Amino acid sequence: MKNIEVPALARVEGEGGLFIGLQDGKAVEIRLDIYEPPRFFEGFLVGRFLQEVPDITARICGICPVAYQMSSVYALERALGVTIHPQARALRRLMYCGEYIESHALHIYLLQAPDMLGVQSALELAATAPEVVKNALRLKKIGNNLLKAIGGRSVHPVNVCVGGFYRWPKAADLKALLPDLEWGLAASIECAKWAATLPYPELEIDYEFVALHHPDEYGVIEGEILSSKGRVLTIPEYENGYIEEHVERSNALHSHTVDGNTYLVGPLARLNLNNQQLFPAAKQVIKDIGVELPLKNPYKSLLARAIELVHFYEEAISLVNSYKPEGRSYITLKLKAGEGTGATEAPRGLLYHRYKIDDQGLVQFAKITPPTAQNLPRIEADLFALAPQIVEMSHEKATLTAEHLVRAYDPCISCATHFLKLKVENV
Amino acid sequence: MSNITVIGIGQSLRGDDAVGLEAVRRWREQFNKTASRPEVQVEVCELPGLGLLDLFEGADSVLLVDAVQSGASPGTIHRIGPGELAAFSAGSTSAHGWGVAETLELARQLGLSLPSIHLIGIEAGQMEIGASLSAEVESVIPEVCLEIEKFVTGHA
Repeated sequence: MKNIEVPALARVEGEGGLFIGLQDGKAVEIRLDIYEPPRFFEGFLVGRFLQEVPDITARICGICPVAYQMSSVYALERALGVTIHPQARALRRLMYCGEYIESHALHIYLLQAPDMLGVQSALELAATAPEVVKNALRLKKIGNNLLKAIGGRSVHPVNVCVGGFYRWPKAADLKALLPDLEWGLAASIECAKWAATLPYPELEIDYEFVALHHPDEYGVIEGEILSSKGRVLTIPEYENGYIEEHVERSNALHSHTVDGNTYLVGPLARLNLNNQQLFPAAKQVIKDIGVELPLKNPYKSLLARAIELVHFYEEAISLVNSYKPEGRSYITLKLKAGEGTGATEAPRGLLYHRYKIDDQGLVQFAKITPPTAQNLPRIEADLFALAPQIVEMSHEKATLTAEHLVRAYDPCISCATHFLKLKVENV
Repeated sequence: MSNITVIGIGQSLRGDDAVGLEAVRRWREQFNKTASRPEVQVEVCELPGLGLLDLFEGADSVLLVDAVQSGASPGTIHRIGPGELAAFSAGSTSAHGWGVAETLELARQLGLSLPSIHLIGIEAGQMEIGASLSAEVESVIPEVCLEIEKFVTGHA
């Protein structure tokens, strides 16, 4: 069997290639090559005023800008010793609900479902099952509308600031979304039921799951960093447990635990560690579809996302209903030199930021550890685990099965240019 | 009266990839009277992905202003009308999940009713991360602004 080579992975956010070297029916080399621009942002932030940081880091990703905003504002607030208004905190959760909704709907239906349903692309899915895709677009759009109502824009919302929000969104604008959110909750329950029926390839991995954990809510912002192997760290202790290292062939950094193990962040980790904190409809759907936790099959990330979609629709409804803006939406900042860390759960997994600022509020040092960097060594290890199965397959099927595994992780290999490749004829 | 939406697209941190954003911003400043007419919507949007479809709502015609790559010299201005849409539907094998071309193709595939879509494409030179616009591309922005103005006053 020939080596498996996918020079440009389709349906991942960014650019990456996959190489599996086979010899005598065994995988001897696996490389996920990432063309992520080297840590440009960390350098770019140095010398910027802290209030610019959320809007600059938001540009790292077109799919999960809110995650970058949130981890950065929490880190900078910690550096200044600021605690935000409780309603501002609730509004941040609501904004995160919007991001989870749009990101998960996109990934479930348009990025991973084509693999599950044996079609080449979402375009082919649109041709064979247009109603499924239209439903997906509506589910996604509701998330974008929520972001727009809070952040002024549906892509790269701009209202979040260090200290809270620049302004309270109008209660009427949020309440107007309730009928759509109710529809979305019902549709997401159907989505989870459908996700449970899909033919996932068989693969069980004994992962070390790592996610933010909060005793009173589904871990998204704040809390402790919990590992399924028992390690519990506060957010400022993160770098004591998880180390990032440069790997020569890739310009993305790779992470491992302090014991040298790979670990998994993202929807499977969250669901397995935090299912007790899910909203009731999501707990009910787990019962109804008979999901046994923990989920250890990476392909079932789709199912985990579908269950989370139910949760975030239901939480969004609850947060809109209890929304009561009062007083100032932000805390006035008193600048001082300091250092702070922030970690939140991006849709793809734990996203950690650390900043040092001077007494003028200018960034002196920035460190950003995205979820995909943490998962990269795990994806490669999964591909090794998959290898005995795929060497038995036709080259085409083997390639697809391996690509599907990578896509199941929803890797965000960010900062991709987006420009149109234009074939010019008679222009 | 016909509703028109002008959409500048790009990635502001990657050199010439930002030209669509910059051109629409400058047109809006320079031709504020046109840009603030009630039938004219202006959107400056980084990496909209599928969200592009939402921006089309309520528009009879849409003008996209975006960086393109076709092999022409940097700064070349391409004007593409609705009849020539096929010219920019080829990129679906790219690694970029949901580019403009893929999004339009998906909408066509679903049979969604789309406004009449026009493109002013500016040939990009360099797309280094952290770079600003190249001199070649920067120098054509005034002309692009005039093109946008001509289009909007002709269609609105």
